[in-house]
Amino acid sequence: MLHRARLLTLLLIVSMTVPLVRAGDPKPDKDKPSKDKTEAKKDAAKDEKSDDDKDKKKKKKKDDRYFAIKAGTVHTVTGATLFDVTILTKNGKIIEIGESVEVPEKAERLDASGYHVYPGLVAVSSSGVIGSEPPDDSTDVFSLTMTIGLAGGITTAVTGNTAGKLTFSTLEGLVVKRDLFYKLSYSSSSPDGRRKLREKFDKVRQYMRDLEIYADEKKKDDEAEEPDKEWLTGDFKKIHALMRGELVAVASADRAYEIVQYCELAERYGIKIVLRGAMEGWTVPSRMARAGVSAILSIRPPIFSTDTGHDERINRKTGRSIENAAILARHGIPIAIVPSVTSITLWGLAGRDLLHLNMEAAFAVRGGLSEDAALRTITIDAARILGIDHRVGSIEVGKDADFVITDGDILHYMTHSRWTVVNGRIAYDKQKESLYDHIRPDGNRDAPPPDDYWPRCLGTN
Amino acid sequence: MNRTSRVASRWSDLRRSAFVAAVALTVMVLSMPANAAPAKRGTAYRVGKLVTMDGTDRVINNAVVLVEGSKIEGVGSRQELEVPAGYRVVNAENLWLVPGLVDAHNHTAGSLMDLNDMVYLTNPGLRTLETIVPDNEIIKSARAGGVTPVLLIPGSGTNMSGFGTVAKTGGSTVADVVQRSPGSLKIAQAGNPEWYWFGVGRSYMNYNTRQTLDKAKAYHEGWNAFEQGKTKDKPLYDPVFDGFRGLFRGEFPASVHTQIYQVVMTTVDMLSKKFGIRTVLDHSTFDGFKTAPLVVEQDMYTMNGPRQYWFDFSQRKMHGNAARWWQGGVKKLGINTDAPVVPQKELSYQAAMACWYGWLPYPALRGVTKMPAEALLIDDHVGSIEVGKDADFGLWTGDPIDPRSSCEMTVVRGKVVYDAKVKRRF
Repeated sequence: MLHRARLLTLLLIVSMTVPLVRAGDPKPDKDKPSKDKTEAKKDAAKDEKSDDDKDKKKKKKKDDRYFAIKAGTVHTVTGATLFDVTILTKNGKIIEIGESVEVPEKAERLDASGYHVYPGLVAVSSSGVIGSEPPDDSTDVFSLTMTIGLAGGITTAVTGNTAGKLTFSTLEGLVVKRDLFYKLSYSSSSPDGRRKLREKFDKVRQYMRDLEIYADEKKKDDEAEEPDKEWLTGDFKKIHALMRGELVAVASADRAYEIVQYCELAERYGIKIVLRGAMEGWTVPSRMARAGVSAILSIRPPIFSTDTGHDERINRKTGRSIENAAILARHGIPIAIVPSVTSITLWGLAGRDLLHLNMEAAFAVRGGLSEDAALRTITIDAARILGIDHRVGSIEVGKDADFVITDGDILHYMTHSRWTVVNGRIAYDKQKESLYDHIRPDGNRDAPPPDDYWPRCLGTN
Repeated sequence: MNRTSRVASRWSDLRRSAFVAAVALTVMVLSMPANAAPAKRGTAYRVGKLVTMDGTDRVINNAVVLVEGSKIEGVGSRQELEVPAGYRVVNAENLWLVPGLVDAHNHTAGSLMDLNDMVYLTNPGLRTLETIVPDNEIIKSARAGGVTPVLLIPGSGTNMSGFGTVAKTGGSTVADVVQRSPGSLKIAQAGNPEWYWFGVGRSYMNYNTRQTLDKAKAYHEGWNAFEQGKTKDKPLYDPVFDGFRGLFRGEFPASVHTQIYQVVMTTVDMLSKKFGIRTVLDHSTFDGFKTAPLVVEQDMYTMNGPRQYWFDFSQRKMHGNAARWWQGGVKKLGINTDAPVVPQKELSYQAAMACWYGWLPYPALRGVTKMPAEALLIDDHVGSIEVGKDADFGLWTGDPIDPRSSCEMTVVRGKVVYDAKVKRRF
């Protein structure tokens, strides 16, 4: 009895404390600093002596990093668009959004009234903006390409199989999620590979059925034999996770026949698949919707490509369509958009790579996707496909403090990022960084290019 | 009777019946009363916004554009311009009517296999006219981007790769599409022809271009002297240099592949200043904009692209090429795609990118319509919406530079050559 009572109280304590620790409720966070402040003042007035507990509290408060943005227009993406509000962040997380937010004295402040605040953009594939796999071991946090990525509004990017932040100047908080996907290859060019893959899936499925049978048998017979699982390692383990819905698969498929094959695989084994490419997705949208697959699209082909993808020999709709994103979205298929070139190129062909992720989404609008949906394809929907939407992709209390603060509509062709914020730190400031500071420095689109820079040769005067 | 002769006899039967039908039709047409068909049957386009790009840069809201045959017959607001009876009315009240976009640098004449005939380092007699495939896939997609006339030029594999052709994007035969041949002379300065063979560098390439032009000029002057009666010795006809006479008479320009400060300087100096050739600076990228004062002095046209920015590593700065040219005082400025380097249909997007990197939307739109038309000397019939000009235009859902806007319909010489409702391509 005694033991049981102790256990109960212990459970009770745990259940009470756990939510307090885990929830990260903004209210106590918000209240704490003000309370601490008044207490601290009282302490100073009362007596020089302070007990250990209060010392600790003081220290804790000092370490907290507050950052507040006075924002003009906040495009939360998942909620209403807000005007003239303050966003308060603490230690890289959003803790409060509102018209009358009490900002701690020591908070870093940014006056962005008149500017648009969007969640930081998510690039579902990239190279160069953060290091290669594993990014926390290979990222140059002062790299030019990271800065250019930030100038393009990107705060989260995928490298290899890891999602990471463009944490300029620090490695802190760089990795968001590792092992994003299980890489699936089920190509018709390798029939043998396909058969082997199906065999693996079948073996795991058989094991899962055996487990169920075993669970039933064990109720009747205590000595029932557990199915052998020593082989359930490596790839099998991943497939097991895949079939239990704990992992998502990713595969490249552009043509309709490939897409349909992956749809069939998804339905056959009850797995979730993200299709990269999905060029001809618009020809089989219902099929994709039924199979519950998601898609990562590029709206335009790569440069130097004269290939429209249309094959006139085929007696059905083929090739690339500008309406791909709109059609898939209409069928409820989650989509993320990324340019076909996912690196930072510096050779001058503009608007086709990660320098202009937002423009690729703008081309989806051309094909009929709504502007709101287009914005989602590079923010929350992209985050959802990566399974990191609890952290990034929208402006909500409790989420990461990643913002791109622009001088206009983010889908407009003249909009620049004025500041890009990652984990509650200003990672890019257009006017402090030499790259674009000469282009419309005050955000005025009608202003002629300023005379701040002219080479020393062939001067007019 | 063998199989061949049977086919032949059937064919002659067919021909006979076709002849009978034709005669019958002629009789019918001739016997029709003269007043049955209206005198003129044109089309009236009612649009939300009309960007004319005319001399006074008029933009008319709720406008009407009257098209008769292949020409524009009337332009005005709906209040002031009445639609004549019998005209077909195209209601596009929520669309913009924008002049057909013009690309002064395009390589999509035919199969990309004969882009560069690199026989010699200068190939002055060649022309793209012979390689044109009027309805090829790239041209089709160009229409979807609202592009109507283009200058189809050979590649830059050699210093002189031949004469380009000004062609429309609508039409199915070479005779249909060609507007002017030669459209321009293609000259390529540094940044490609040096790959022709070992030892080819900037000095040699300049010499090579110069001596070819010297010969061509001497040929032209010889004929001039003869034609003006200054000499009685008739020069020998030379097919290699005869095409250059139009160039020296200023009937068509030279399109010059030129980029990088030093190279652009040489282009301006050699071609415009020394030879007095009407020279259009194509590409004009990297730090080419540093020559702006020279270009202003020579009053030359610059068709910037496909690169829209230059990253200056030493200053860690992104320079918008168009913005820098503009800032340097070069107002005769346009944008190109160098299709298929950038897809032809994305000409308007090239203008958008020029704006992102610091240029301005209206000059950028002029830079893909009126400016290239002026540069190519075809502005008497294309490049703006004015009475008497070719009915070449696009109907857009909004600001044509914005990638969110799409071209819903393209009209070339009064004919609809692209309709997104039938098949959307972009």
